[in-house]
Amino acid sequence: MSQLPVATPAEVRAEARLLFRRHRRPLSLALTLHLLAAAAGLASPFILGRIVDALIDGAPVSRLDALAAALAGFLVVQAVLIKFAIKRSLDLGEQVFAELRETFISRVLRLPLSTVERAGTGDLIARTTGDIDALSRTVRFAVPEILVAFITTILTLGAAIIAGPLVAAGAVVGVPLLYAGTRWYLKRARDGYLWERAAYATLDGAVTETVDGARTVEALDLSDIRIRRMDKDLANAYAAERRTLFLRTVWFPTAELSYILPVVATLAWGAWLAAAGHATVGQVTTVVLYMVQIIDPVDRLVSWLDELQVGTSSLARITGIASVPDDREATGEQPAGEDITATGAQYAYRTGQDVLHGVSLELQHGERLAIVGPSGAGKSTLGRLLAGIHPPRSGRIDVGGVRLVDLPLEQLRREVVLVTQEHHVFVGSLRDNLALAAPDTSDAELCRALAAVDALEWVEGLPDGLDTLVGSGGHPIGPAQAQQLALARIVLADPHTLVLDEATSLLDPRAARHLERSLASVLDGRTVVAIAHRLHTAHDATRVAVVEDGRIAEIGSHDELVAAGGAYAALWDSWHGAPAPSR
Amino acid sequence: MLALGMILGMAWMLSQALVPWAIGNGINRVIEGDTTSAWQWAGVVGGLGLAQAITGVARHRVAVFNWLYAAFRTIQLVGRHAARTGPAIPKAMPTGEVVATVSADAMHIGHVFDTSARFAGAIASYLVVSVIVLNTSALLGLIVLVGVPLLVLALTPILRPLQRRQRAQREALGKLTSLGADTVVGLRVLRGIGGERVFADRYRHRSETVRTAGVRLATTFAYLDAALVLLPGVFLVVLTWVGSRLVIDGTVAPGDLVALYGFAFFLLIPVRTAGEMTFVVTRAVIAARRVLKVLTVEREVADHAPVIIGGFRPHYPESADDQQEGVVLTDQSSGLAIKHGELTMLVSDRPSETARIADRLGRLVPGNGVALGGVPLHGLPVAEVRRRIVVSDPEPMLFTGTLRNALDPAGQHRDAQLLTALQTVAAGDVLESLREGLDGTVDERARSLSGGQRQRVALARALLRDPEVLVLVEPTSAVDAHTEAAIARNLRAVRAGRTTVVVTASPLVLGQADTVAWIVDGSVVAVGPHEELMATVAAYRRTVTREEDST
Repeated sequence: MSQLPVATPAEVRAEARLLFRRHRRPLSLALTLHLLAAAAGLASPFILGRIVDALIDGAPVSRLDALAAALAGFLVVQAVLIKFAIKRSLDLGEQVFAELRETFISRVLRLPLSTVERAGTGDLIARTTGDIDALSRTVRFAVPEILVAFITTILTLGAAIIAGPLVAAGAVVGVPLLYAGTRWYLKRARDGYLWERAAYATLDGAVTETVDGARTVEALDLSDIRIRRMDKDLANAYAAERRTLFLRTVWFPTAELSYILPVVATLAWGAWLAAAGHATVGQVTTVVLYMVQIIDPVDRLVSWLDELQVGTSSLARITGIASVPDDREATGEQPAGEDITATGAQYAYRTGQDVLHGVSLELQHGERLAIVGPSGAGKSTLGRLLAGIHPPRSGRIDVGGVRLVDLPLEQLRREVVLVTQEHHVFVGSLRDNLALAAPDTSDAELCRALAAVDALEWVEGLPDGLDTLVGSGGHPIGPAQAQQLALARIVLADPHTLVLDEATSLLDPRAARHLERSLASVLDGRTVVAIAHRLHTAHDATRVAVVEDGRIAEIGSHDELVAAGGAYAALWDSWHGAPAPSR
Repeated sequence: MLALGMILGMAWMLSQALVPWAIGNGINRVIEGDTTSAWQWAGVVGGLGLAQAITGVARHRVAVFNWLYAAFRTIQLVGRHAARTGPAIPKAMPTGEVVATVSADAMHIGHVFDTSARFAGAIASYLVVSVIVLNTSALLGLIVLVGVPLLVLALTPILRPLQRRQRAQREALGKLTSLGADTVVGLRVLRGIGGERVFADRYRHRSETVRTAGVRLATTFAYLDAALVLLPGVFLVVLTWVGSRLVIDGTVAPGDLVALYGFAFFLLIPVRTAGEMTFVVTRAVIAARRVLKVLTVEREVADHAPVIIGGFRPHYPESADDQQEGVVLTDQSSGLAIKHGELTMLVSDRPSETARIADRLGRLVPGNGVALGGVPLHGLPVAEVRRRIVVSDPEPMLFTGTLRNALDPAGQHRDAQLLTALQTVAAGDVLESLREGLDGTVDERARSLSGGQRQRVALARALLRDPEVLVLVEPTSAVDAHTEAAIARNLRAVRAGRTTVVVTASPLVLGQADTVAWIVDGSVVAVGPHEELMATVAAYRRTVTREEDST
């Protein structure tokens, strides 16, 4: 459904470089601390080697005590350094993660109107939830862990070479196996874990639907079908788990073997070197212990690599949002007047398939125009064009002589606003929900807007009135009430032209008519375009436009159209009690 | 399987525990200059490494299987219960809580099976290491025996805030994520009338809370990592220092010091596992309680009498079609009587009253006075009622899947029948909007369809069921007038000869009715054809034409 872009690998690298550069100072401080901590950690195998040498040489007890004290000293230093290093790097991770998600949301909130209206929300929600969560692990843990493990590995290797260059040569035997095994694993791990994640998301979705749709399940006796569906999703999750388990079954033993090989090699090779007089026992001890000690950082390094892969693809989807081009460029022209006109407007969602075939329409200031017609005739598309969301493919739609899409968004909103039947109640208080754009709106004004949409009575009946928390997890608001709130928002926004696309469809018919009448009195002097499926809306309007197959088939007042005896007249007759034609 | 997991867990931990011992022996041989023996010990280290690799992966596999078995069984239980219990569950608790039992609690229960196997290994390796060290020196052995439990005790005060802060951070991030999702779902509204800045600020504010929680957690991690260096470090220093003096006394070989050094590092693993175990078990108990809370919710509509009592099978009419003319369905409290094979419509001034009658007719609520062919519905098995009477809501749930699946969940119809049903409800536009036609995907909550499209697909689904009695509640409330008129005509044709009840107030639909029942205060006050009621009942006319005054 959606065509939101994903950043290219080059763009992701550029973004990562930018992040590193922006935090160069705290990053280098954290890395220095880790470097020092790792260096302090290298002291103990070295000292132990000296103790072994001292014991063999029969050194005095005081020397042993001094060595033991040095051991204790280095451990304390290492512990203190680790504390500060971990704290610094994790804090930095938190900072970077916060910046990434905040930048992402502010970019989402700047997405062009036409993209928002056309693209489904699914992809964007997945980026806001799944990808941000995935990035959480990568930025907060994987990147710091990998950096630290890398530093520690290199330092340990360096120390082993310094302590016993000949003995340390034995370390290389572990490298080929580790390299081959890890390469094999990483090539497959990302897809495996993504599959696993997707499988669990589908399973959770199936359970959510079963619970949310419990009434439908009960009424249509779908329980066995739902159970089969969940079993299928479980089987898929099981298959995904089997897949990643297989990958680990191959990788774990190769990795563990490649960890122990250097220990075996340095011990055996060191034994020969010591016997031949090329190395001391202490050197052998130190290097063998370094080989044991290096297992942990190497293991951490390779284990986090697949997380880095997952994080990179999430980062690509998150930074991809930035490359959505803006859909309008303000020309600076100022409209002369408030009249909206459409001239020969054509529009196609897919090239070559016009939904509107040259619609011309002049909205008269302060009129109520009802648009009726069969589904798929292009009513909603016309509504979006009249609200300046999409530019017409050819022809123009102007306000006061300026094309709607040539106005900056802020100004467009003051001219014309679209309300659709898709309603949303935000998490927060009722007050927050109403005064979205102007948080300091007075209660009196809020109440006036609520009264205009027949909602004041039930709002006053809420436990905390305007302060009642609503939205997901808050006080339940029905679909009809949500539509009332959407209309109250537009009353507060107060543009001179309103496009209402089935904006009262979820209210019961009688309430809808009452609402429309009270709204009309508040909106006196405003131009209203109402796309409606209920004929009473048309009856109450100044003019009615019947849209059929992308064209305006009939336009005129209710009485004129009834008198004309066309399609509208036939519909009105059957509505108003004349015998239905087919019987 | 759990026992197998524990045995493998012990074998795996032991092969790790013995590595320092083998290295120590090897070093001793190097000191003695016995290269061949040193090589043999190097071989032992390699052998232990191999054993560790094999038992490690075997243990991991058994642990994953145990874990999956426990978690997936729990998910299956919850899923089955949710599917069979109906609306009672969402009434008893928020959906999110039920889903959490599947996405989190089931996993927590499964984790016990993984951790307990490793815990068994931890205890075994602790005992074995103690015995080895005791053999070297009674004093050192005692230090190990007493030291390990002391380490566990010393770590617990750090682990406890860790779990608490991890939970706090996860909760804060969870709230931020839902705030983000909420903003995205309402993005059309925000971009349409403004308020982006308010929402960006709100998100940034929440984001700051998450960061603070993360920073607090970072402090705990920092102390934990430092403790994980310091605590075995203390152990290491004590063992090495005491050990080196024992070497001078001649009771301990220098190579044994290397083994002690290795043990000090290794013992950290069982210490951490022990800490993890208490945490995992506590969490699993809480999780199990939450799962039980879901499982104990009972279905509202249940079979009262067993179907067969001691060989006696209660009588109920095989099919209401047997009765030629006459009343097939009666509702005591409203006085409604539905005639067989007719298209009956219910109109009320208050839509909630007629919706309640529809619920009773389909036995979607417990305790009702509805009779089907003279037999009270509550005397019939629920499954029987569902087979014969189907109630469809104005906005029922469409489940994720292909359009074919959404129309025909049970997979009983041919494509041609599905296409005919779509034609009946004038839903050609749905087929066009999903490019792959019947194979097109209906996404979560059918978000990609408009409200009117969703309603028509749901109506087609109900019509395809073709039950003896079909009850439709406001089936065209979100559909435009042109389409509504067409659907009403088709509905009449498709249901010809079958009993159909429609709750509606639209004159375009009512014009097609055989009989209309006008309901006031929950009781039928007038019955007759639409035109007749329009002519004779003023209140009826006012309601269906939405007149507020006499125009």
